[in-house]
Amino acid sequence: MKSFKHIDAASVEEAVSLLQESEGPAYVIAGGSDLLGCLKDNLWMEYPKAIVNLKTIPGLDTISVDEDGLHIGALVTLTKIAESETVKEFWPGLAEAARRTASPLLRNIGTIAGNICQENRCWYYRYPDKIGGRIDCVRKGGKRCLAVPGDHRYHSIFGAVNKCIAVNPSDTAPALIALDATIKTTKRTIPIDEFFSAGMGAQSTTLDRDEIVTEILVPRPAQEWTNAFRKIAFRKSIDFALVNCAAALTFADGKVTSARICLNGVHNNPRRCVESEAALIGKPLNEATAQEAGELAVAEAKPLLQNGFKVPMAKTIVIDTLMDCVK
Amino acid sequence: MTQNEKLTKLIQLTINGESRPLLVEAHWTLSKVLRNDCGHTGTKEACNEGACGSCTVLIDDIATPACMVLAIEQEGKNIETIEGLSKDGQLHPIQEAWLEEYGAQCGFCSPGMIMSTKGLLIKNANPTDDEIKEALGGNLCICSNYEHIINAVRSAARKMSKEQANV
Ligand SMILES: Cc1cc2nc3c(=O)[nH]c(=O)nc-3n(C[C@H](O)[C@H](O)[C@H](O)COP(=O)(O)OP(=O)(O)OC[C@H]3O[C@@H](n4cnc5c(N)ncnc54)[C@H](O)[C@@H]3O)c2cc1C
Ligand code: SF4
Repeated sequence: MKSFKHIDAASVEEAVSLLQESEGPAYVIAGGSDLLGCLKDNLWMEYPKAIVNLKTIPGLDTISVDEDGLHIGALVTLTKIAESETVKEFWPGLAEAARRTASPLLRNIGTIAGNICQENRCWYYRYPDKIGGRIDCVRKGGKRCLAVPGDHRYHSIFGAVNKCIAVNPSDTAPALIALDATIKTTKRTIPIDEFFSAGMGAQSTTLDRDEIVTEILVPRPAQEWTNAFRKIAFRKSIDFALVNCAAALTFADGKVTSARICLNGVHNNPRRCVESEAALIGKPLNEATAQEAGELAVAEAKPLLQNGFKVPMAKTIVIDTLMDCVK
Repeated sequence: MTQNEKLTKLIQLTINGESRPLLVEAHWTLSKVLRNDCGHTGTKEACNEGACGSCTVLIDDIATPACMVLAIEQEGKNIETIEGLSKDGQLHPIQEAWLEEYGAQCGFCSPGMIMSTKGLLIKNANPTDDEIKEALGGNLCICSNYEHIINAVRSAARKMSKEQANV
C-alpha cells in the first residue's frame, strides 16, 4: 500500500467537510475490508490523498426498532446483524444475507454501509498493479472491457451497462432491496431502488463524492409477511456469490398481496425481478407459482459464451427462495 | 506541516497486555506492524487480502484479520496475538488441545486458527460442531487438516469449561 493521510472524524459533519476540503481524492473508511484491498492493489487511476475514518464517530453502530421499522447505523457490522435476535425474527432474509457474507473474520469488521458501497470484483478490474500493472478498463475510464473477449464466467447474464459486464457482488444488497429499505445519507434519503448505479464511473452507487451513508431503514409492513435469502457460492464458508437472491412477500387470505424479489451477481446492479413479482400477485405461493416466477426471472437473460450456467442457477435460486417464504 | 508529519503518527498500542509507543505510517496494516515492528511473527501473512485467516488476532476479544485493519486505528484497543496465550511457560488449553489432537500439520495456519478458536470460545463456551465450522470458516488450512482442527476445538472447549468449573 502507498501512503495517505489518515484522519479520524469526530462527527458526520466533520467527515463531510474533510472530504470536501481534501486537496486530492479522499475516501471514507469503515471496516476497510474492501477499501484496503483496493488500495493494496492500487486499482484506481487516482490514489487517494486522504482516508477519513468513520469509526471514531459516535452513534453510527447501533441497531434499533421503532414503529417505522429497523434502523441500522452505517457502521453496524455484519456479525452484529447476523446475530441480532430482532433481525433474525422479523427480517430473517437480512440476517441470513449478513450471515452468508464473506467469512466470520470479515463480518467482524465489515459494515453494512461498506457492504452496499463495495467495489465490483471483476478480476480484470481488480488485477493488482504490482503484478505487471493494473488494468485500466472501461469501468475505470479506459478504452476496453477485457472480460467480454476474455474470461467472463462469473460476469453479467443480463447484458452490459456502458460496456461493462461486471456484477454487483454484495450479499446484503438484494436483501435490502427485497425489504424495500431506505438509505439515509448526509444529503438526502435514497430509496434503495435508486441507490445502485454501476456504469457511471468506477463507483457502484449514486452517492456523491462528499456524501456519507449514515443509516439504513428497513420498514416493517403491516400485513402478514415473510422474507428469505439464499446464496450459491463454491464454498459455503467464504466466497462471493455466483448468484444470490432475496424475496419479501405479504399475504392476505393465503394469497400474495405484494412481492419484491431481487437477484444479485447477475448484472451490474442488483436486479429486481419485476415480472416474477407481478405474476405472483393475487395467487397463492406454491410450487407452480414459484416455478413460473423463476422462469420469468430469467426470461430476458442473455448469457455470454462462458456463463450460461448461471441462468438455470438464477432460475432455481428464485424458486427456492420463494419456497422458503411459504408459510 | 511537512509531508512526514502528515503521514506518520506516534501511537500507543496495547499488545498482549503491554502498552508500547510506536511510530506508524497511516497506511501500515496491523499485521505488518506486529510482524516487522513488534517481532510478533506468530501472526502470519499469507494472502494479505483477508481471505485466509492466517493473520487472525483478537482485538477487544473479537477475531480480526490483522492484514485488513490499519495499525493507526488500533490505539486504545486490546490486541492479543498467539504470543500472548501461554503464561509462565504453561501452554494455554487451546494450545494443549492442538498438540494432543494433532491440530497442526505444517503449522502455518495454527496461530490464526487458535486465535479464531479463542474468539469463538469467548462468545460461546460450548459450541456445536456446526458452530465450530462456521466460526473457523475464514481460516484456511492448506494441509486440509480440518478434522483434527475441529477435534482440537472441541477438546479445548472441554478443557476450558473444566478449568472454569474448578475456579
Ligand atoms: C476475502 C473477501 C471476501 C469477501 N466476500 C464477500 C461476500 O461473500 N459477500 C459480500 O457481499 N462481500 C464480500 N466481501 C466484501 C466486503 O469487504 C464486505 O462485504 C464488507 O461489508 C465491506 O464493508 P467495510 O465496512 O469493510 O467497507 P470499507 O472497505 O470500509 O468500505 C467499502 C467502500 O464503501 C465506502 N464506504 C464505507 N462506508 C461508507 C459510508 N458510511 N458512506 C459512504 N461510503 C462508505 C468506502 O469509501 C469504500 O469505498 C469480501 C471481502 C473480502 C476481502
Ligand atoms: S467487466 Fe467491467 S470491470 Fe471488468 S474488465 Fe470489463 S469494463 Fe472492466
